[in-house]
Amino acid sequence: METKDKIEQLVDYIMKKCLWQFHSRSWDRKNQNEGILTKTSQLLCDEHVELETPQDRCYWVDAVVLAREFRARYPWLTSMSKDEIKALMKGLHERMDYLTVTGSLNKELTDPLY
Amino acid sequence: MPYHEFECSKCIPERKLHAVVKGPGEDLTSALPLGYLNTIPGSISERGCAYCGAKHVIGTPMKDVIHMSHGPVGCTYDTWQTKRYISDNDNFQLKYTYATDMKEKHVVFGAEKLLKQNIIEAFKAFPKIKRMTIYQTCASALIGDDINAIAEEVMEEMPEVDIFVCNSPGFGGPSQSGGHHKINIAWIDQKVGKVEPKITSKYVINYVGEYNIQGDEEVMLDYFNRMGIQVLSSFTGNGSYDDLRGMHRAHLNVLECARSAEYICNELRKRYGIPRLDIDGFGFGPLSASLRKVAMFFGIEDRANAIIEEEIKRWKPELDWYKERLKGKKVCLWPGGSKLWHWAHVIHDEMGVDVVSVYTKFGHQGDMEKGIARCEEGALAIDDPNELEGLEAMENLKPDIIFTGKRPGEVAKKIRVPYLNAHAYHNGPWKGFEGWVRFARDIYNAINSPIYQLSGLDISKDEIPTDVGFKTRRMISDVNLSEEARKVPGCGYTGPYDIVPEIQKRNKAYREQQLKLAGESTPAETPVPAEAAA
Repeated sequence: METKDKIEQLVDYIMKKCLWQFHSRSWDRKNQNEGILTKTSQLLCDEHVELETPQDRCYWVDAVVLAREFRARYPWLTSMSKDEIKALMKGLHERMDYLTVTGSLNKELTDPLY
Repeated sequence: MPYHEFECSKCIPERKLHAVVKGPGEDLTSALPLGYLNTIPGSISERGCAYCGAKHVIGTPMKDVIHMSHGPVGCTYDTWQTKRYISDNDNFQLKYTYATDMKEKHVVFGAEKLLKQNIIEAFKAFPKIKRMTIYQTCASALIGDDINAIAEEVMEEMPEVDIFVCNSPGFGGPSQSGGHHKINIAWIDQKVGKVEPKITSKYVINYVGEYNIQGDEEVMLDYFNRMGIQVLSSFTGNGSYDDLRGMHRAHLNVLECARSAEYICNELRKRYGIPRLDIDGFGFGPLSASLRKVAMFFGIEDRANAIIEEEIKRWKPELDWYKERLKGKKVCLWPGGSKLWHWAHVIHDEMGVDVVSVYTKFGHQGDMEKGIARCEEGALAIDDPNELEGLEAMENLKPDIIFTGKRPGEVAKKIRVPYLNAHAYHNGPWKGFEGWVRFARDIYNAINSPIYQLSGLDISKDEIPTDVGFKTRRMISDVNLSEEARKVPGCGYTGPYDIVPEIQKRNKAYREQQLKLAGESTPAETPVPAEAAA
């Protein structure tokens, strides 16, 4: 399977099952994507996850659920090396930023006020 | 962009940008209608006003409060009891409604004196109630009455009372959503941080954007109690005014309806550093994940797992019974705001129905993003629809049922499409594991009711068969079941008619016990997740 197809499978899961990617402002969505997908990548690669602040812990709980679901639903993940997973997650992060921030048609995202 | 133009709206060409069809290969960068804009003149909207959005969606579910409208009596009377947001204090906030009854002479000479007189009169009439919310209306906003000043005056004269003022006149936004925003910000600006709450657990949350429709909040509170998590405040269903003044002491904001209450979560995050966790309380899968996340934040995931296991074991067979019989039924999911995304995927996954259309009356584009992302290909997504568009969509899509409010619901009934009340429910609560089965039961009954079958007969014209009874389950919903499904023993929902009183009793007892215990010890302030510590 092509990397692009793998990314689309992961995107489809996030879009259907998660809510965290749809905060109401661009900067907030970027933070959410960064916070949760970085931690998900770390969990999938068995790396240390920062849990210093309450916000870290909040990202982390979404990341744990996401990592578990990815592993359970997409068996091809288990046969990937850590470097491959990192590259895949980077691609996923870029695609999520595009769909929810840079390519989004939501005119409210750039409103300077909440 | 795959816009959809309604035949009936060709005379309002701007409407075309408010409806899209999610076609094959479409994503949010190519399929998203406009949203949260002023209704186009000529389109008879189903929206409410910003006063109603502030008062009747968010303000009035607070239970221990006199909720006063400063305006003509119609503003409060015509929006009174529009939702079934019950409470555990005998529904005080639902029983009474208060207005200053402004008339023409007040518009000319001012109504501040009238307001003060009404405030004092209301407190005297209900001497046990010491909290009040006051809502500006179009009339009092336009004449410029200073409601805040009057409230301050009364609080000085009556130091035992506390008053919250919400300046959200009906014209203060394109829809009720403008009012949601205003009251969120007004509450955190005026009231949060003004009371130090009693902390009874190491794990403390605010449960936000939950309005206790037919007991939803009580159901979720029960789960949180069973995990040992203190719900410091519920914003605002079954919520207490003073509890909501202590929101700043929670460790986590658990957000259910982001459409109506993300604002206060965002502010609590900015001002007090309390993170925001968005959850889904509907459906076995999403609810399980949500409970796990909340528990995991505090390092007590095992407690969530125990609840999930017990509840799924008890209720899954009954949900599956309905799923077998609802498979392939076509649904128009036409709620106000958040339920379009809370339900779009999970009624398909767990009940087997197909969502052929989603719409939102007052949602923003962000709500449409969530809804469109979650529904299947081919669904028609409509922003701020009018009645004719709703009729045209039903004629084209031929849904088996629609989930919507009571006004469009009545329209649907006229063309014999059954509807369930997505805002106030039919036989809720619908949240929680048991609640989800109750929702499935209500869908099943709405589609298959023998009364509904009979309603198609015109007794003035049709020959009424008198030698046959009404059609039974086996003749309607079971006729196309597979052999395998027929062999599965069991039946639909087996719970009682009303599940709330028992849960309320349990929740009240738990709170009293916790407050008593808290008087004897002080819990640690900062929780440490077990997995994090490891």
